[in-house]
Amino acid sequence: MSDTTSLDSVVAIASDVSAGRRSAEEVVGESLARVRERDRRLGAFLEVSESLALEEARSVDRRVASREALPLAGVPLAVKDNMWVLGRQATCASKILEGFRPPADATAIARLRRAGAVFVGKTNLDEFAMGSSTENSAYQITRNPWDLERIPGGSSGGSAAAVSSRMVPAALGSDTGGSIRQPAACCGVVGFKPTYGRVSRYGLVAFGSSLDQIGPITRRVADAARVYTVMAGLDPLDSTSVADPVGNPESSLEAGISGKTVGFLQEAETEGLDSEVAANLEEARRAFAAAGARVTTVSIPRAPWAIAIYYVVASAEASSNLARYDGIRYGPRRGDENLMSLYIQTRTAGFGPEVRRRILLGTFALAAGYYDAYYGRAMRARELLSADFENAFRQVDLIVCPSIPAPAFRIGEKVDDPLSMYLSDIFTVPASLAGVPAISVPSGLSGRGLPLAIQIMSPRLEEALLFSAARAFEREVAVPDELPRGLRSD
Amino acid sequence: MPDKSSPVDPQVVRKIAALARLTVPEEELPLWTEQLGRIVSYIDQLKTLPEESGSRAGAPPTPLRPDTTRGGGGREALEENEPLLLHDHGVVPRVVGAAGEDRRPAPQGQSSRPGPRA
Repeated sequence: MSDTTSLDSVVAIASDVSAGRRSAEEVVGESLARVRERDRRLGAFLEVSESLALEEARSVDRRVASREALPLAGVPLAVKDNMWVLGRQATCASKILEGFRPPADATAIARLRRAGAVFVGKTNLDEFAMGSSTENSAYQITRNPWDLERIPGGSSGGSAAAVSSRMVPAALGSDTGGSIRQPAACCGVVGFKPTYGRVSRYGLVAFGSSLDQIGPITRRVADAARVYTVMAGLDPLDSTSVADPVGNPESSLEAGISGKTVGFLQEAETEGLDSEVAANLEEARRAFAAAGARVTTVSIPRAPWAIAIYYVVASAEASSNLARYDGIRYGPRRGDENLMSLYIQTRTAGFGPEVRRRILLGTFALAAGYYDAYYGRAMRARELLSADFENAFRQVDLIVCPSIPAPAFRIGEKVDDPLSMYLSDIFTVPASLAGVPAISVPSGLSGRGLPLAIQIMSPRLEEALLFSAARAFEREVAVPDELPRGLRSD
Repeated sequence: MPDKSSPVDPQVVRKIAALARLTVPEEELPLWTEQLGRIVSYIDQLKTLPEESGSRAGAPPTPLRPDTTRGGGGREALEENEPLLLHDHGVVPRVVGAAGEDRRPAPQGQSSRPGPRA
């Protein structure tokens, strides 16, 4: 088995292990060996669970031997460290949750476990998933496998780097405003955010509850469809989870998009777009046409407001969700002279600067005197943006735009300019606010050899259509298949 | 610096920090004011939205589930995250009474568990 292929595909591993061609223990062992060898340079993992993972792999081998059908038999997965996996930490890359061990599996994790997946480790993120570069982790930075001096995107930067460097064939991310799609785009892999409510949020540490979704990061569209299908579906433990049947998106994966109307987002082409991203978008237009789609332009008139709406809504929800970290129930305590000093000192020492900034922004937007002018107005604007999407989807089947406004930037380049960092998510935030599913698919490399990516969005609950469009696009473009440049001296 | 019409000034930052149970050191106040002011100025583009447009009236109601008890389970896992255990109960700092009273030495029988510490 060659170095670049043996851990590439979720579907191939599950098929091999199910058929007895490879054991889960062998596959997981190989994944762990790659983590040992490669992660020193990348910093993608916050915790690696070697013995637990090998134990779980042997258990999968026993289930395979007893002829249990497992759609993810022996597939090594990395999980963003803001999700609950029994026996592992869940720090959210924050000092305030240092040492926290969750009391249960997240629903998504429990379903993946039942399907035969094995959890090799927890990946780095921007603290509490707040950021676009993974530089806001309280523990370490993560490097982009394509250029070790650049960011992997964020907030699921550890997960994207782990898949891009082929340490694992798939990883879980969480997406509040683009935190799966943007790092996947920066690292040259596939990142998928389901319809809001498709995957249970139980066991995902809350950031912006009206936006948060768990989704897969993989190397190929078919692998994302497999992992998503296992995780998705109604869960009584998450009252916002949707009851509509998930169906079987894999069965229509190769259906193509002949006759479908693909609308390129008009507003994306007026944002001072990077010239290479603009040229790549033109190639995407040709690729969709070559795949048989009717290619047109579509407008989401309020899309340019998305970042402004998002930073009010998500920060307001975060300020409320993060109020629970007060030093009483868990986490390191400080300043217990009296209750107020305990709260203030624990929170001020436990949260990093970006988390404190978002809490302050959210508190401001919800405070008496500012609520109507900020939170109330942002909620009304969000409704109008959602209506724009509904209107657009009456004209086209799918909406396409770049995933990122420019290739991955240099480490440290934007840390002192929060607003500039926030604008990295300009193309991913609209789908989050509207709750529609969206996928980022690699679309080539820039002149400097950095990944570029295209984002495809579909109407709510139309994941099957979205996957078949993404697969059709993937077939048309030359996806970079070599080992990322930053790792080639291996 | 944020424009003069920005509602964010050092006094506002102090006030919202207090509401959020956070402190902003005085020497960092100008930087926090400037950064939050720039972000709020950017958000102010939404002011072009007419007052009467958009509404939550069409939004679906929050789904509710029956208010019934379910078996909890996972007691040991929960206990592992308690900063301190005493007679199988989590110990929390005193929340009423005079300041400092809860800093007495730990009574006998107190057990500690792995996980975060005070």
